[in-house]
Amino acid sequence: MNIPDTKPKTLAAALLVAAAGLASAPAMAEDFYAGKSIEMVVPFGEGGATYVAAKFLEPFLEKHLPGNPQVNVRTRPGGGSILGANWFQQNAEPDGETILFTTSSTSNPYVLGMDAVEYDLAAMRPAYSLPFGAVIYVSPHTGIESPADLHSPDMPLIYGGIAAAASDLPVLLAFDLLELDLRTVLGFDGRGPARLAFERGETNVDFQFTPAYMSQVVDMVEAGSAVPIMAGGSVGDDGVLSARDLAFPDYPSVYEVYEEINGEPPSGVEWDAFQAIGATTFNFGLTAYLPEGTPDEIIEIFEETIAAINADPDYQERSQEAIGGYDLLPASAVTDSLSEALQPSDEVRDYLRTLLADKYDVEL
Amino acid sequence: MLENILSALDILFQPARLLALFAGMLAGMVFGMLPGLGGVAAVSILLPFIYLMDGYAGLAMLLGAISVIYTSDTITSVLLGAPGSPASAPTAIEGHALAKQGKASLALGVGFLASMVGGLCGALILSVAIPIAGPLVLALGTPELFMFALVGLCFAASMVGKDLAVGLTAACFGILLGVIGAAPAAANYRFIFGQSYLMDGLSLPIVALGLFAVAELIGMVASGGGIATKPTPLGKWGDSFHEFWRSRWLICRSSVIGIFGGFVPAVGASASTWIAYGHAMSSTKDKRRFGKGEIRGVASAEGANNATIISDLVPTMLFSVPGGPAAAIFLGALFSFGFYPGPRMVSESPDLMYMIVWSVALASVMGAAICFAVTPYIARLTRVNFALIAAPLLLIMVAGAYQGTQTFGDILALLALGLLGWLMKNAGIPRAPVLVGFVLATPMEQYFWLTTQIHGFTWLTRPGVLIIASLIVIPLVLNVARRLRRRVGGEDDTGHRTEATAGEGELPGHDSSVVLITVLLMTVAFGYALVEMLGYRPNARLMPSLGIVPGLLLSLYVLGRQLVRIRRRGRSVSLASRRELPVLGGILLYGAAMWLIGFNLATLLLLAWLLIGCARMRWITALLYGATVYAIAQGMFMLMRLTPPQGTLLNLAMPW
Repeated sequence: MNIPDTKPKTLAAALLVAAAGLASAPAMAEDFYAGKSIEMVVPFGEGGATYVAAKFLEPFLEKHLPGNPQVNVRTRPGGGSILGANWFQQNAEPDGETILFTTSSTSNPYVLGMDAVEYDLAAMRPAYSLPFGAVIYVSPHTGIESPADLHSPDMPLIYGGIAAAASDLPVLLAFDLLELDLRTVLGFDGRGPARLAFERGETNVDFQFTPAYMSQVVDMVEAGSAVPIMAGGSVGDDGVLSARDLAFPDYPSVYEVYEEINGEPPSGVEWDAFQAIGATTFNFGLTAYLPEGTPDEIIEIFEETIAAINADPDYQERSQEAIGGYDLLPASAVTDSLSEALQPSDEVRDYLRTLLADKYDVEL
Repeated sequence: MLENILSALDILFQPARLLALFAGMLAGMVFGMLPGLGGVAAVSILLPFIYLMDGYAGLAMLLGAISVIYTSDTITSVLLGAPGSPASAPTAIEGHALAKQGKASLALGVGFLASMVGGLCGALILSVAIPIAGPLVLALGTPELFMFALVGLCFAASMVGKDLAVGLTAACFGILLGVIGAAPAAANYRFIFGQSYLMDGLSLPIVALGLFAVAELIGMVASGGGIATKPTPLGKWGDSFHEFWRSRWLICRSSVIGIFGGFVPAVGASASTWIAYGHAMSSTKDKRRFGKGEIRGVASAEGANNATIISDLVPTMLFSVPGGPAAAIFLGALFSFGFYPGPRMVSESPDLMYMIVWSVALASVMGAAICFAVTPYIARLTRVNFALIAAPLLLIMVAGAYQGTQTFGDILALLALGLLGWLMKNAGIPRAPVLVGFVLATPMEQYFWLTTQIHGFTWLTRPGVLIIASLIVIPLVLNVARRLRRRVGGEDDTGHRTEATAGEGELPGHDSSVVLITVLLMTVAFGYALVEMLGYRPNARLMPSLGIVPGLLLSLYVLGRQLVRIRRRGRSVSLASRRELPVLGGILLYGAAMWLIGFNLATLLLLAWLLIGCARMRWITALLYGATVYAIAQGMFMLMRLTPPQGTLLNLAMPW
């Protein structure tokens, strides 16, 4: 059952909850989840990065959500996450007991307006996000030592990726924004195999998300077989994807690299496109969505829970290795920016669709 | 190092961890035996439980399951003739043929022992991951990965059956099934008919289940008796030890082939098993028994597939690139326990690495021993009226298929492929090449695309490519040379000649209408695919065209040949095939019923039909047995945390 929710209704509900909350909010929140269980739907297979992150968060949510519900991670793979998200759209009730935990693999098709998408991500309510940074690095054989050398490599640059409309999109947009002369080979079946091709010397530009970068690439950097160039960046206080990635304060963001190369901050549709896709991929990399029409009360519960998890010393200790040490972002820090990124202007959407069609032969 | 090896043993030999290893083994064995539920199903079902234990125990549990899957699925392959994966297809072909000759114990015994050796070889290569295996993985570039897949497919297509045209048609059809879904080289979805279900392509368990298990099940229910038409004595184990010892070097060589298979992501066991099988064939002087029950075929295949699933862990542990789907889940478990795979982990926590090596080795040996112990009991099942076993088996298959995406598409795909499998079986078209073509189509396309993109055409001169290519070329040259020598010597190869003429004639017992319908269906599918394919982007056309164009020509040839035969000899009617039609219809109706009234109600009807209609049980026993089976089926769904398919018209909700 799906209750169509209109703006005034939400507002009224919010007011009601707020009014009632003045008196009884703590008591209501106290036992909201007592005796209940939460199904955290992961639209990917077991063992993937999203599954691992969901399992990592599971005990912390159980510990800090009021009433200590049982949290069950449930995988619904298929269609590059589209099937699971479609299922969620059709079946999840706005009662806070079903959460969709997913990545840009779900939001990119939505932003690009693909046919198979039956879910309305922008209408859903984000409960929390976990940033999922990424670092772009090159082979030392390219002679590139810093971003300034990107336009004067010793050998042709070749990048290995999966598919233009998938998680490669923000990086490809960054390459486009920086006007790099680089050959793109798409068709690897994961970031791991793409990294192996880099290690074998078949490609010489690669990027990895934070957990894989920490466990695999850091050693290569120490051994001198990889040179880190830049990170995707994170959304700063001004809402722009210009700040440095919190896990990699030493690496410049794409924004900074553009500024360094061109002498002025990036702007225009190329930047807007990178910002929209980059924000959902990196800053809101893993986001938990609640169904459309979820009452504010539940959002509020998550807001407090996330603050408690971030303050949990156990979380701080274990998150370093497991997920790159990012704090969880509460709904208040996510909702507006994410909603903006999920609904780019028609100009940006057209730019993306045209770029994908012309340069990467992707027809949506 | 020795100290680490011993301290790892110390870590593993804690009661709780040994128990976990053992529990994982048992789960792995059961899932290996159940048709269609292989390693992925076993580890994904165990996954929630490992979080209740400490890291070492949890990993031991998964390793226990992974290590014995290919050991215990020998039982199903041999006794039922239904392989759980393309990697067990040679075992099913040779082993099942042996079982029909009353030599099931020989096939099973050699299969178990070869699996054990394969597992131990895998454990050995894991223990030298850093100095030896790691550099080997990095030495295999994209071109070598492509060649490996290509060689595997060539072997599978050329070695099955006597009728080469039909075998190749089947392989082409497999490629056609395999290219459904997203194209790796261009942003095209192929043959998905607007269904998001097909965007990821068909899933392997469903294809394997549909093509083999459903068809075998129908045949057995219809025949009304047990799996074996007359009581098959298992025979004595002694022969199998003897035969194992005779094939020991073959098994070792096959295990080495299998180890390399583990280094090749996505292609792995499907290719390496067939390469090992081909190696067995080329290293055996008398090749006539291949396809009709050659024990060396079983020995090589089982040695290779078990070595592969273990050596899949090498790229997993060293590069966090899983070599196969079960290894992918294991990788997730490693992350969850705070182990971050990479060269650093392997060198910094040697205890963990050797714990894994020990777990695998121990599970391989114990798994084989347990298989020996339980086989006599399972063999007794082959004498029970099959309709009784069919009921739980069909429900397990439905549950196994449904765990794919938990949509009705899974059921529909299972039944459609089951219908295809039944047609092919009754038309005498080999199904193993379909399975192999299906599995290898995508990785081959992907590796070929990447290879030409990265290397241009220089890849053809890479030493690794040449070495792997020699695997195809050398046996071919040797064969030609041998034939030439024979001709020069004037020796007439009568054996081959008579066999060839026998292959030309219509195989007895195949219904000519079924053959006609099947070939016609395949021709139409190829023809339609050809038209559809022309609308794709050039890069998305390459692999489909490699399957479709020869497939269309071959199927037209086979179709024409069949029409000529019918005209010349008249129609032949196979009573066996006709007798199976009501069962086929029943199972298709079950699918329709599931769609309309949901799994919970439709299954009641299915049980009534199978137990009372087919097995002719008495009401009271049928009620008791049916209730047990029903409860087990519901339990399976609960264990897998799935809601059974719901009906569109009405639905019976379960009280829980």
